[in-house]
Amino acid sequence: MGSYLPLFLLFVLAAAFALFSALLGPLVGPRRYNRAKLEAYECGIEPSPQPIVGGGRVPVAYYLTAMLFILFDIEMVFLYPFAVSADALGFFGLVEIVLFISTLGFAYAYVWRRGGLDWN
Amino acid sequence: MITLAQDVQNTMSTGESIAFWVLGPLALFGALGMIFARNAVHSALFLVLTMLSLGVTYMVQQAPFLGFVQIIVYTGAVMMLFLFVLMLVGKDSSDSVVEVLRGQRLAATILGVGLAALIVTAIARSLTEVTPVGLQGVEANGGHGNVENLGRSIFTDWLFAFELTSALLITAAVGAMVLGFVDRHTRGRKTQRELVEMRFRGEHDRPSPLPGPGVFATSTSVATPALLPDGSVAPESLSRLIDSVGAEDLDEEREAITGSAHGAEARALNPSTREGESS
Amino acid sequence: MSALVTAISLAQDPPAKETLAPIDYGAIMPMLIILGAACLGVLFEALLPRHQRWSAQVALTLLALVGAGVTMAFYIADAPADGTLTLAGAIAVDRPALFLWGTLLALALGAVLMIADRTVEPGGAFVAQAAIRPGTVQDREQRLGAHPDRRDGARFQMQTEVFPLTLFALGGMMVFCSANDLLTMFIALEVLSLPLYLMCGLARRRRLLSQEAAVKYFLLGAFASAFFLYGLALLYGYAGSVRLADIANAAAGSDRSDTLLFGGMALLIVGLLFKGSVGPFHAWTPDVYQGAPTPLTGFMAACTKVAAFGGILRVLSVGLESTQWEWRGIMWGVAIVSMIIGAVLGLTQTDIKRMIAYSSIAHAGFLLIGAIVLTPDGLSSTLFYLLAYGFTTVATFGVISLVRDADGEATHLSQWAGLAKRSPLVAGVFTFLLLALAGIPLTSGFIGKFVVFSAALSDGMAPLVVIALIASAVAAFFYLRVIVLMYFSEPAPDGPTVTVPGAFTTASITLGVVVTLLLGIVPAFALDWADAGTFALR
Repeated sequence: MGSYLPLFLLFVLAAAFALFSALLGPLVGPRRYNRAKLEAYECGIEPSPQPIVGGGRVPVAYYLTAMLFILFDIEMVFLYPFAVSADALGFFGLVEIVLFISTLGFAYAYVWRRGGLDWN
Repeated sequence: MITLAQDVQNTMSTGESIAFWVLGPLALFGALGMIFARNAVHSALFLVLTMLSLGVTYMVQQAPFLGFVQIIVYTGAVMMLFLFVLMLVGKDSSDSVVEVLRGQRLAATILGVGLAALIVTAIARSLTEVTPVGLQGVEANGGHGNVENLGRSIFTDWLFAFELTSALLITAAVGAMVLGFVDRHTRGRKTQRELVEMRFRGEHDRPSPLPGPGVFATSTSVATPALLPDGSVAPESLSRLIDSVGAEDLDEEREAITGSAHGAEARALNPSTREGESS
Repeated sequence: MSALVTAISLAQDPPAKETLAPIDYGAIMPMLIILGAACLGVLFEALLPRHQRWSAQVALTLLALVGAGVTMAFYIADAPADGTLTLAGAIAVDRPALFLWGTLLALALGAVLMIADRTVEPGGAFVAQAAIRPGTVQDREQRLGAHPDRRDGARFQMQTEVFPLTLFALGGMMVFCSANDLLTMFIALEVLSLPLYLMCGLARRRRLLSQEAAVKYFLLGAFASAFFLYGLALLYGYAGSVRLADIANAAAGSDRSDTLLFGGMALLIVGLLFKGSVGPFHAWTPDVYQGAPTPLTGFMAACTKVAAFGGILRVLSVGLESTQWEWRGIMWGVAIVSMIIGAVLGLTQTDIKRMIAYSSIAHAGFLLIGAIVLTPDGLSSTLFYLLAYGFTTVATFGVISLVRDADGEATHLSQWAGLAKRSPLVAGVFTFLLLALAGIPLTSGFIGKFVVFSAALSDGMAPLVVIALIASAVAAFFYLRVIVLMYFSEPAPDGPTVTVPGAFTTASITLGVVVTLLLGIVPAFALDWADAGTFALR
């Protein structure tokens, strides 16, 4: 149990630091609110309320990002057992995983070059 | 010796029970929260909590691969898609509460109870009749961890199935692009730089943007036309859509401000075009 | 305690190296070429400028198809007669697999030529930008923009991603035909389905119909995949392995609970029958055939059927052969239902693409008769039927894409009235193809039906053959109805015109018609190929 003590202390330290940082601002900082400060924007136009039908939709461009994320998420699932057993698999295992990653690289290159990652 | 090993595996260590009593209620709380939350996004986030707790529980139960996959695939990928679909549909769009299928609540209740009974029976049987082997002992895995065994299996026996998966993933990426992405050039939209170059090459009518409306000190309306330095009305500042203020009204104002009137703008505000636009 | 110590010390030993069974690259080279070309195609899409993509993709795709065919021909010359298992037993390259690969490659060649065509529909049958919403101004512009008179038409050429996607689908089909375990088979099923779901929604005209078809196909296909996967899981639970041979061994001699076996078998077969559009699992077929771009419908109707029945043949004769007395009765029923649905509902159709879809359901029933005859004759006759049916279908859809009016293809039957007076050649070709689908002598359809039915007869399935003959007669009625309509009615004054196809579609239709005729007159060579050997049973 004693060998876990440093780890435990580290946890306590991390938690204490996070709490301290989060609480310091509200406790010490001055609070002088006025109407302008509470507005969503300090200049420009008030945001108009969202339409009632299908309110809060996001643009379909996020979908690409989501799909790409999932692509590399799945890649990671395969990389994990590979990494653990890489030693036993030897050179051929490396060839396999490189083939796999480079195949996915094609997809990545495609999305990138076509501008799927641009936000316009 | 084997019995000893089984004894070790049958009893819960302190750490394991602490983990269980922390994660179990959390998972249950998340599951209940998912059902009872009114907002669909909150439901999804509660489900994330449940899945994370389950993932950690798996890891504690000597199944690290299952645990990581639970977190990477379910909490990461699947929940992300869930949330994403919610956002696409609109997070505020409400469910239809009209029951389309008659008696579906009853059927769902019966099936739910049936499923619960099946699961409880299965767990009860596994607790009483089956002797657990564990996932990390020599008996179970030949001394390797289950992640390593999976790795060996995937990259030797199932290497073709594994490589074929990449074809699936490429198709998914290409499909997402094809269905969800419009090429800017096809849409006909140009970059700012291209537009500037086109303007100065003379491909547009004028290099500068159109003049804005002339908002005077006396008028805050966009319908007020802009005045050129000689005091005449700039015709380009007139909107096609908005009826501009009549030249006569402006004259009065201008007289009021400067004390002198100009006659030039009567020509610019051609009455015939104004009639054509207002009709 | 000491057990724990040994475990730890074992884990700290240098891990034993895994050895990999040697891979027979020669045998799987056609498959690798197709899949590799598909990856390369995606890279082309990434790197090439828009105006070069179409020519590069078409060249790459055709090269890959021909290259795969040539490598396969070289391999067949000195292939072991009883097949070979490679990639750790995941892939079986035996005579039926090679025959199916050859069929798939040849059919895909025809379909790819049709997909690549940009003259029948200016810019190609596929949409320029699928992400533009149907019905918007931009959509109208991109639909009409590829007209040859337009100077900026290059922007509105078809989406060239369809070529790598077609290759991926084809690669998946090839794996599916030769997969020797259910896991590889499942992944191949997904690899072949996913691009098809996607491409169904990419028609240039009638985009909402096309997108609806894609969604329907995707949802139902996902259900079918789930069925397959669940069946796979149950069979794994039964046999402790997903290899077909192990399942066969477990089923042959064991006292395990049969519940898992039968449950798994039923679910697995439902998933397979769905892909082969065998009735009662056919519900998606008419809608998808109608909505998908016609060249893709040709590809899907021909190649998916070949792949699905390749898979069904292998699963039934390798994995479930020893339990045939349990499933045979049910499969009889399924075949009868499929033939009756196809023949009877086909009668009521007014859309020509839907009619061909119902015809394909009826044909799936005939094919299933061949597939459940587990003799070598049954195998070879089904293979021959697939070859014959595939070529006829590709050419049929090629001809359908030619009859057009201002709104695109004129698929309503009434618009085909009097077509023979407008274009005797097209009407003649179509008549020949319909006769082949009906199974009239001197066409491949007749030989196909003949060999399948005689194989079934010699295996004691006389009642089934009688029903099949009645169904063929009923189905022949609706083919003849179209022929009568084309020759013996007056064309409507504002009726559709027949487009003169470019080289690609002409080549594709010619290929289909010539093969249909050849197989009808001199079928012996193809029958010999189909009869060259059986599945590798290891």
